[in-house]
Amino acid sequence: MNNLTSQSGIQIAESIKNNKLSEKDAYSFFSGRIKKNAGINAFVESYAEPIEGLGDSALKGVPIAIKDNICIKGKKITCASKILSSHISVYDATVITKLKAAGLKIIGTTNMDEFAFGSSTENSCYGPAKNPWDITRVPGGSSGGSAAAVSARLIPFALGSDTGGSIRQPASFCGVVGFKPTYGRVSRYGLIAFGSSLDQIGPITTDFIDCAHLLNIICGFDKKDSTSSPIKTPDFSKSLKDDVKGLKIGMPRQYFAKGIDEEIKTAVLQVSNILKEKGAQILDIDLPHTEYAVATYYIIGSSEASSNLQRFDGIKYGLREPASNLMDVYKKSRAAGFGDESKRRIFLGTYSLSSGYYDAYYVRALKVRSLIKKDFDDAFKKVDLILTPTSPTAAFKMGEKAMDPLSMYLSDIYTISVNLAGIPAVSFPCGFAKNNLPIGAQFIGREFDEEMLIRAGYSYQCVTDYHKRIPNIA
Amino acid sequence: MPDKKTVEYVAMLSRIGVSEEEAQYLGSQLSKILEHIDKLKELNVDDVKPMRGMNLNNNIFRDDTVVDSKTQENILKNAPSREGNYFKIPKVID
Amino acid sequence: MQEFDTVIGLEVHVQLNTNSKIFCPCSTNFENPANTNICPVCSGYPGVLPVFNKQALLLAIRVALALKCRINSRIYFERKNYFYPDLPKNYQISQYKMPLGENGLLNLPAGSSVGITRVHLEEDAGKLIHKENYSLVDLNRTGTPLLEIVSNPDITSPQEAFDYLTSLKLILQYIGASECNMEKGSLRCDANVSLKNKGAKELGVKVELKNMNTFKGVRDALEYEISRQARALTEGEKIFQETRLWDADRQKTEVMRSKEEAHDYRYFPEPDLLDFFVEEKFIENEKQFVSELPLDKYKRFLDAYKLQSLDADVLISEKFLADYFEEAVKEFNEPKKICNFITGPFLELVNTFDGRFKDVKLSAKSFAKIVKYFAGGLLNNLTAKKVLALSINTNADIDEIIKKEGLSQMSSESELQSLVDEAVKESPKAVKEYTEGKSQAIMFLVGAVMKKTKGKANPKVVKELLEKALKK
Repeated sequence: MNNLTSQSGIQIAESIKNNKLSEKDAYSFFSGRIKKNAGINAFVESYAEPIEGLGDSALKGVPIAIKDNICIKGKKITCASKILSSHISVYDATVITKLKAAGLKIIGTTNMDEFAFGSSTENSCYGPAKNPWDITRVPGGSSGGSAAAVSARLIPFALGSDTGGSIRQPASFCGVVGFKPTYGRVSRYGLIAFGSSLDQIGPITTDFIDCAHLLNIICGFDKKDSTSSPIKTPDFSKSLKDDVKGLKIGMPRQYFAKGIDEEIKTAVLQVSNILKEKGAQILDIDLPHTEYAVATYYIIGSSEASSNLQRFDGIKYGLREPASNLMDVYKKSRAAGFGDESKRRIFLGTYSLSSGYYDAYYVRALKVRSLIKKDFDDAFKKVDLILTPTSPTAAFKMGEKAMDPLSMYLSDIYTISVNLAGIPAVSFPCGFAKNNLPIGAQFIGREFDEEMLIRAGYSYQCVTDYHKRIPNIA
Repeated sequence: MPDKKTVEYVAMLSRIGVSEEEAQYLGSQLSKILEHIDKLKELNVDDVKPMRGMNLNNNIFRDDTVVDSKTQENILKNAPSREGNYFKIPKVID
Repeated sequence: MQEFDTVIGLEVHVQLNTNSKIFCPCSTNFENPANTNICPVCSGYPGVLPVFNKQALLLAIRVALALKCRINSRIYFERKNYFYPDLPKNYQISQYKMPLGENGLLNLPAGSSVGITRVHLEEDAGKLIHKENYSLVDLNRTGTPLLEIVSNPDITSPQEAFDYLTSLKLILQYIGASECNMEKGSLRCDANVSLKNKGAKELGVKVELKNMNTFKGVRDALEYEISRQARALTEGEKIFQETRLWDADRQKTEVMRSKEEAHDYRYFPEPDLLDFFVEEKFIENEKQFVSELPLDKYKRFLDAYKLQSLDADVLISEKFLADYFEEAVKEFNEPKKICNFITGPFLELVNTFDGRFKDVKLSAKSFAKIVKYFAGGLLNNLTAKKVLALSINTNADIDEIIKKEGLSQMSSESELQSLVDEAVKESPKAVKEYTEGKSQAIMFLVGAVMKKTKGKANPKVVKELLEKALKK
């Protein structure tokens, strides 16, 4: 059989279209790779038979993996949490309906931090996923399973979800492209909510071509999601143009200050040099409230999460611990079902919303959110695009930050503001550290201007090959 | 900073049973996080409008039409305990 | 005993008349078998999102207009967080800081008026069935649109509370917003009551009353509670801020076992729903339903049509009846006669229909014709009812029915004379009694003639002919 590891999704789709490859062979090739590399622990479940997607699209016939927080009818959906351990979804998320209608073959669900709480995929009831570039390191999180799977070419592409960087940070740790669309661009119906005002589903791919084609499939207004936007979805593949001439690209001073690894800084500056050579204009900009983003995010995200996770109560579905009265069902089931990080977030959120603290924490955070959004509004008056690192470091060692939640939270410093502002951003590979770990750079765009990110990213990938490197695994 | 009593109160509100030890441990972690969060107090936000959400300006409604979900049986099948067509739970008050 | 002023505020929840639930397309017909009207959304499944039913907003606007509220042009929902098994998400989507309507007013028939603090939309909870050692959960009702109507503490007596509820119910039914059936739970009422020293400004300690299942129950519970508090205060006891449950069997209130925590609902804006704009066109559209409220209409009916208050009461009890009446009067300007025929034979028939007024196909115009024929003597009481029964579900042509069924009344003396003579001949006993002075005996003879004509004879003419014949 063909070795498909070096092929992108769109290339595989073309082979299928030209009858050089059958859908079945493509599926069993990747099924085999998933099995062979079970040690990476990227998958929660892989299906022996694909879920039949009957429609057509540019990506028809290509297998895809789904983060374990997106509902697939008739399949186990767990958010990597014990509290949902045996739960079967009774409906399809809107993105799943769309993937089926586009003829993609859903191959299984990927590992993640429980309920998407985390930046390392260590907070999973299935055990941590591993970074294919160095299996002693984390793949990032929370969509670590999806990023690791794409990086190791266990699958051509996958869907993840991003609340504070959960697509982009693992993409940067694993050397792949992770795209978070504008809030409202992709329906959240069927995505198990973490922070409802922050969550967004997005693609994790090897390059910008697949990224654009997948976005074409999953974006669009959904009448089942009132927060999805009626704005028209463009054909993103039309933005695959090698042309950045005249683009104004801003680099925020605050993102290159203290705390960033020199290697990362150098790699991202190198990106700016390449874009400059291609005719873009590079400008220094300010995002003055950056240092408040993490605090703001943890209040808003945890507050929403504390309420969203109340439905896991052992009454209607999921784990129920034996108890003689209702109160104990709640307390015991939730104590046994949620991991430590989930408990921390629930407690933090409940605390921020509780009487006496609401104004001091929650309302204040909403106000600072306005300021952070305004920072971006101001910046985009001057520039078309913002270039930053995705993470201050490359992939860290497993266990390194597990005992120190705050340092884990702070590592999301460059990705979090984007979710607070609701704007699109993408992480893409831009180099390797001396220890051969991938480095990611991030483009941030205006609201609903995903096209700009795709155009700049594609142009960059036309002259670089970091996205073509594959970790040395079986 | 949340003391033990506050942690217990928050645990009760969120219906998560915690042992004495856990309350202590989670409490100290929360303290550290809240210490960082207190950074927000540096900012004067008196005249700033809270940002309630995104895309607030699209009046999105649903028409008043009934659709049978046809998921009833599958929903009941997921219940940890059921009696006929009902979800079954232990008594509400002990 | 000391003298006190009573301060009462009422909190009413009504289910709005929509086909589907407030945030999902499940049916609101919760008489269906348990857990039939459920879907992932109203069952609180992971990943689902609410979508707001426009009709719920329109009906809520209608109520807010009827209660003369100021309507906020931009509203949003919030989450009220608490764990309970009838609330699948363990939060209720409700309104808190920005309700639909504020600052309204309800005029009572007795002349006083009660201020409306706020009117807000929320979702209903499901139902629990308690067994001896466990409970069962039915989510059919979960997500039914509810409107919470909070009165100012303006109410000064249990009777006024009763009148407030009666008027509110009449209005809500009249404008088609809610069935308001307290037994079925489509209207629920909690009361707050406190006493203060007569004339004092400072309010007393407020007690919340729950579990009243009828308007009378609300009045009784308030009466009981007021005397309980008055006695306690007179004896120098303290009143506690608490919730008490009305026990209708024992006719007393008792402290609800206090929950083990103070409520801390952690309200915050519902991030799954955006702001909603109450557009001017929504309001304009709803105004047609509240142009004249029942109390105003009642007064006008007494005035313009000179109806008796009892009759006017019946006519305004349902908008359909009032409109039907007025249309019929336009056709045949005898309000009293139209009214009598509506409150009598018409309602008698309607009450036997499953769909009530929905099954009435007869136009008010044709209805007026029947009344007109009756008044003019072409139809008698019996035949008029028969024509009505034959046309009410079909709106068939009245004249056609009368012709086809041969129902037009026999009033011609020449036609009836021979039948009168026959009757006299056939009933010597009745004739004898009549001539001996038993004047009612003539009714037997009238009946005999009616029988011969299959009810079509004009009884008045028959009676005259008989009297003439028997005088001879």
